[in-house]
Amino acid sequence: MNNIEQGVVPAIKDEVTVALPASSKGPRRQLPEALALIIVLGAMIIFFTVTSPVFFTANNMLNMLTSIAVIGIMAVPGTILLVAGQVDLSVASAAAMCGMVTATLAENLGLGTAIFVGLAVGLLVGVINGFLVTVVGVNSLIVTLGGLATFFGIGQLIGGGQTVLVQGFRFLGTSRPFLNIPMPVIIFVLALIAGFIVLKYTVFGRQVYAIGANPVAARLVGIPSHRVIFIAFALSGMAAALAGLILVSQLGAASPNNARGYELLVVTAIVLGGASLSGGRGTIIGTFLGLMIIQVLGTGLTLLNVQSFWQNVATGVLLIIAVSSDRLRERFSSTG
Amino acid sequence: MENSPRSKHVLSVRGIKKSFGGVKVLHGVDLNATAGRVVALLGENGAGKSTLVKIISGDYEPDAGEITIGSQTFSKLSPISAADLGIRMIYQEINDAGTLSVAENIFLGRLVSKNGFVQWRKMRQEAKRILEELEVDIDINARTSSLRVGERQVIEIARALSDSASLLVLDEPTAALSGDEVDRLFEFIDRLREKGTAMIYITHRLDELRRVADDVVVLRDGNLVLQGNAKEIDRSELVEAMVGSKIDDGGRPAQNKRNLNDEPVISMCDLSTLGAFENVNLSVFPGEVVALYGKVGSGISEVAEAAFGLQRASSGELKIQGKAPAKSPREAISKGVGLLPADRKREAAFLGLSSGKNLVAPFWSGVLGGTLWVNAKKERASFEKWREALRIRVSPSGAEQSISLLSGGNQQKVLLARWLNAGSQVLVLLEPTRGVDVGARQEIYSVIRELANSGVGILISTSDYEEVVQVADRAVVMSGGRMTRNLAYDEVSVLALTDASGG
Repeated sequence: MNNIEQGVVPAIKDEVTVALPASSKGPRRQLPEALALIIVLGAMIIFFTVTSPVFFTANNMLNMLTSIAVIGIMAVPGTILLVAGQVDLSVASAAAMCGMVTATLAENLGLGTAIFVGLAVGLLVGVINGFLVTVVGVNSLIVTLGGLATFFGIGQLIGGGQTVLVQGFRFLGTSRPFLNIPMPVIIFVLALIAGFIVLKYTVFGRQVYAIGANPVAARLVGIPSHRVIFIAFALSGMAAALAGLILVSQLGAASPNNARGYELLVVTAIVLGGASLSGGRGTIIGTFLGLMIIQVLGTGLTLLNVQSFWQNVATGVLLIIAVSSDRLRERFSSTG
Repeated sequence: MENSPRSKHVLSVRGIKKSFGGVKVLHGVDLNATAGRVVALLGENGAGKSTLVKIISGDYEPDAGEITIGSQTFSKLSPISAADLGIRMIYQEINDAGTLSVAENIFLGRLVSKNGFVQWRKMRQEAKRILEELEVDIDINARTSSLRVGERQVIEIARALSDSASLLVLDEPTAALSGDEVDRLFEFIDRLREKGTAMIYITHRLDELRRVADDVVVLRDGNLVLQGNAKEIDRSELVEAMVGSKIDDGGRPAQNKRNLNDEPVISMCDLSTLGAFENVNLSVFPGEVVALYGKVGSGISEVAEAAFGLQRASSGELKIQGKAPAKSPREAISKGVGLLPADRKREAAFLGLSSGKNLVAPFWSGVLGGTLWVNAKKERASFEKWREALRIRVSPSGAEQSISLLSGGNQQKVLLARWLNAGSQVLVLLEPTRGVDVGARQEIYSVIRELANSGVGILISTSDYEEVVQVADRAVVMSGGRMTRNLAYDEVSVLALTDASGG
């Protein structure tokens, strides 16, 4: 019976669509995703403001932005990738590995050179991921899942599993160069603006949406899909390195365990922000709202003295809610 | 066989009517299926064959009429009740689980099991018995995807028959088969006939009819127009019943005068691609519409795709605008060739994106300029220009509206405008009006004619002969990967096309 249904359901849709004149279908609006996110975020902020006196203060707001900055920097190219129908799960371990590289080299080569090498390693990671996905043709989930384990292991090898202390590396993590705003927040905001402009106003951004929306059609209108995906992975690798260096600077030490599990938060934020796992949809504004929802939930629960274990549970549940709503959106907004 | 007509009918439908959204598809159709006989259901695309069959399989609910199966009469069926009553469908596409074994596929969905464990030995024995009974020699342990298409189809039929089927419906089962696989399928159908299975065989190939069918029913525009014994009705009677008044070719376009000094924009000389087509000779001059006509699987779409650089030739010569063909879509586009793919949703439209973005998509590729910034104003202006020129019907927010909200015809206009906007001088159109309603179809034809008048060379591959008659200056007919006829302007007619394509 199953096979009968499979063969027939799309055909029914087809015929009905053709038979109906366009006007009788009426304008079927997509759910206003950003609005729904703003409402959720607003409700959470109101709730925590009422329940905790220190929540809605300028200081706490800045703290929240600072603690989400590292994840946010990785989520910007992550959004570009997911819109193109790709995913990078290796960002967190790549960040830790790049941090280890820089910390280990800092003593002998000097901080400047060490930072440069750390960023170059990040770029290399992106290039390898991009090569495997586009030229070799392996699914990005598998490639970067392998990368997740590999880079974590390399990070451990570099320091013999130990934490490496770094002296005098403060400007990326804890300096406040402008209006007393922490450096990571400044970098985060710049990354958001850059990502927003790239996705919305550049030809590259359009190519990203086109590849995610329909890879076959993208090829047939001449879009260089491989080049676009390759560049997006390279950006993701560099962002991971930058995030890793910020963490090292903030903690004054590099550990292979830095950023552990952040890939989950990155993907959660992006999907929560309305990006579709099947590609073709997603925005930087959505991702920003997704990041803030995660952070507000985390901070709020801390202020309410909820055990930190529960915060992990909350993040996981959030991811599942985000993916479920992605599927539901797809079902409601699909016309063919 | 015996003369008690009532009891012989395994299935009998009476006065079936069905409409979709106000469009009447079936106007009261009757059909009988008899044990040990094959009834062929004939008709052109859109005649109502599939709708009728989907009512029998329970997928559609009829608006009126009754369905009698054995001694029970129903006003409608559900897929489950139809299956319970022994109705089995075989579609043209293979619907199996390719990674599993033949035996597992025969018992797909109802593996032989006991307490939740599969009884492999018993299942294999049973599968072997079924295949032996059907006199086919297929290894039951083979991985199904390693078999030929024809064998996989036989396995699907075996699956359908392995549990008390009383009626087998075959929907264009030969569409994907090669010549000797077709012969084998027909032998197989003969054996089923001897065993007393009732069959409905849907086709639009007249050449198969005499070989495989006992009775024939012809539908046209939702009406039963001819019924009789397949061995007695002659071919021309059938063609006339199928195409009806369309047989007089009223709608020929005015012939374009082509400049004899022009070089052809597409020229193929003994072009072959292994497994797709052989020795194709064809040329398209500027200002000309040339149609490649043939049935599904005749090789027409592969030939057309070759002109865009999607099919690599194994021998022969292909020249596009006098030069070597493109090696990639990017290169083809940069040389001024545009392709409208056959499958709009899968290959052409970006369904999640707006109509305006869909229209200017070739400009994002970087081969037509526009390398860094998107020019939203220009995008909207382009859309406005082509919206008016092609009468694309959209609501006021036009360019911003998702293309998925447009009707098939309007989507197709946007996708055609894509290449007009890119200024392509050579257009390759695959099934340009598939799934497009009649009104929009005429508009698309007049756009194609206007383009030709302005000097664009156009190659259309289509399996719709009316399209050829209405839009083409010349036609090349293909069947089984070979050219069967080259029709000049005066020779293009429904009869000539139908005849040369093998039915």
